[in-house]
Amino acid sequence: MVTVIFIAIASLIIASAVLVVISREIVRAALWLIATFFAVGALYLLLEAEFIGVAQVLVYVGAVSILILFAIMLTRQHERHEPAWRAGPWWIALAGVIGLAAVLITTIGAVPWRLTDDDLPVSRAPQLGTALMREYLLPFQLAAIVLLVALIGAVVIAMEERRRRTPTLADDIAAQRGAADRAEDGTP
Amino acid sequence: MSMIDAVPLSWVLTLAAILFCIGLFGVIVRRSLIGVLFGVELMLNAVNINLIAFWRYLEPNLVAGQVFALFIITIAAAEAAVGLAMVIAVYRTRRTIVADDMRNLQG
Amino acid sequence: MNRTIVISQILVIEQAPGWLVAALNHAIIAGVLLIGGAITMMLQVWVERRLIARMQDRLGPNRVGPEGILQSIADGIKMFTKEDIIPRAADRWVHLLAPIVALAPIAMMLAVLPWGRGLVAVDLEVGVLYIAAVSSISGVGLMMAGWGSRNTFALLGAMRSIAQLIAYEIPLIIALLGIVLLTGGMSLARMPELQAGIPLFGSSIPGAPDLGLGWFIFTPVGLLGGIIFFICALAEGERTPFDIPEADSEIVAGYMTEYSGMKFAVFYIAQYLLNFALAVLSAVVFLGGWQGPGVAWLADAGLGAAASLLSLLWLLLKAWGLFMLMVVIRAAVPRLRVDQLMSFAWKYLLPLALVNVASAALWVGLTEWSSIEWGNLLPVDGLAPWQRIGVAALVTAVINLGATRWVLRINRAPAAAPVVVPA
Repeated sequence: MVTVIFIAIASLIIASAVLVVISREIVRAALWLIATFFAVGALYLLLEAEFIGVAQVLVYVGAVSILILFAIMLTRQHERHEPAWRAGPWWIALAGVIGLAAVLITTIGAVPWRLTDDDLPVSRAPQLGTALMREYLLPFQLAAIVLLVALIGAVVIAMEERRRRTPTLADDIAAQRGAADRAEDGTP
Repeated sequence: MSMIDAVPLSWVLTLAAILFCIGLFGVIVRRSLIGVLFGVELMLNAVNINLIAFWRYLEPNLVAGQVFALFIITIAAAEAAVGLAMVIAVYRTRRTIVADDMRNLQG
Repeated sequence: MNRTIVISQILVIEQAPGWLVAALNHAIIAGVLLIGGAITMMLQVWVERRLIARMQDRLGPNRVGPEGILQSIADGIKMFTKEDIIPRAADRWVHLLAPIVALAPIAMMLAVLPWGRGLVAVDLEVGVLYIAAVSSISGVGLMMAGWGSRNTFALLGAMRSIAQLIAYEIPLIIALLGIVLLTGGMSLARMPELQAGIPLFGSSIPGAPDLGLGWFIFTPVGLLGGIIFFICALAEGERTPFDIPEADSEIVAGYMTEYSGMKFAVFYIAQYLLNFALAVLSAVVFLGGWQGPGVAWLADAGLGAAASLLSLLWLLLKAWGLFMLMVVIRAAVPRLRVDQLMSFAWKYLLPLALVNVASAALWVGLTEWSSIEWGNLLPVDGLAPWQRIGVAALVTAVINLGATRWVLRINRAPAAAPVVVPA
């Protein structure tokens, strides 16, 4: 039963990841990426990492994907069907990546993993919280600082200077609409 | 029945390896900067799957694997925020987000 | 309490394989929750329309069924028979999936809510975080709707709505965080259990009767947190005064502009169900959930089933009360402007929520730490539990009141500057 669930989740992850890479339209790719994130979260739940699974959904599906969708909306070009891939010989990349996958998978098969006993207690959210407040306190604080710096940095980088403001898609459409309305009215 | 009895570790690791390679392929071939970011996110997720799998199969009593995964999620969120802000900044100055068009420094 | 065994006994399928029993068990619970959700939604629409009509000196729908209670069913049938219109330029699949992606997470929220004493479908250890995570998924559905319709109004509405959802999600989660500190865990099922006893002091006074009124709203931390949470819940559920995403008089109907027939109905259901789920969540976290006078007494008398029924009644009463409060607010308060909406979230709610978390930490320190943990600075060991709670309530009340006054003062608008019309 668990095997069936794992295979279903794994095929969902791989299929949606492939679609992320090959989708022509960037919004479609983003939506498949969200599906991948969600399936990975489900895999974490299956691996009994509840906290990480829920955090995955909260951070990736709830925040990162919304950010991505916003960025796409703000930078979308008007012509919709441009080639998604680079003009170069993509099959070289494909061959290289398949080679890497082959190396990784053979290595995974060759290593004798020292699996744990079943008796060991599985650490859960309370243990994770305690560890973050004790052993990993410094990294935890550093992560907070990294987030703060990223927050400020993102705002500064993306902040729009009024003077240099270039029209966004919404502005363009509004301009087109305005032009069309004026043409209908017969006024220049 | 728990996952570790039903599914061998190597399956999970193989899944992560395939996901990593798909992400790498995306980074290499995608034209738009946002597409490249998608590839990076896929690769980070693959790494996280590995960490959680190692934690669950090898040392479930220690929290190190979960802590690492949590930090990677944190850093990935920061990376996405800064990366997308840069994409927007680039778009504003150049009206394009295609990576091949950014060749000012190539002379 | 062990429902798997109970259900397998009811169905007399002891020979059935374990996974079949488990699957049936989950299917039955999910079915009850979803059917209950649908019925609740229909009742909500009727209650809202009648109540709003009362407040506006009208009658409201009163023709279909007694007092018009079947009006929602008639509306549902009308929705079913409407033509499903898809704009030619729309992205068909995204357009189709958007309402489903918006509704599914809200249905998922129902699973972890404790509906009564011993009545919780899934007791998740990270329940509060799960609610926060799952409710943030529906934003993706709204974005899909806005983008998939390929309509400027829809896209604008979706972007407004996402900006609002994200801005208000932060104080919402932080308000919950204060209560998580108080209870020492993120399990939603445990929260009502910790709100037994009498107001403020809970079960800390020996010999006091268990009235089931030790709600967190009676503590200073819970009061401020509860108010912040409820305001954020209004914004998350897109209720007036925060209904900018679908402000019909400004941007048609926001992300729902291009939707008709059943797809529109699904968005509609999602919205009402989200409102109800948020009302239940507020009740569970701040208003004692299923706790109420009589529940503990019935349970002690050995009437477990009656206690569960009464507790369910209490929870539904509180949730419906909160929903009616939302409706009354809708009838009484005008819509905010976008900039007012944003500054209210970031300048008022967020600082207050952060102060509230600090108060909650202080509360935990004053009520649970020993003198040694305080570094022998505070002689708290000599006090009885209820005395410590009293001290903590006093201290946090002062902090929260001071913070509220301070936030209100620094945000007071300066004297209106003369409006300069650009030439």
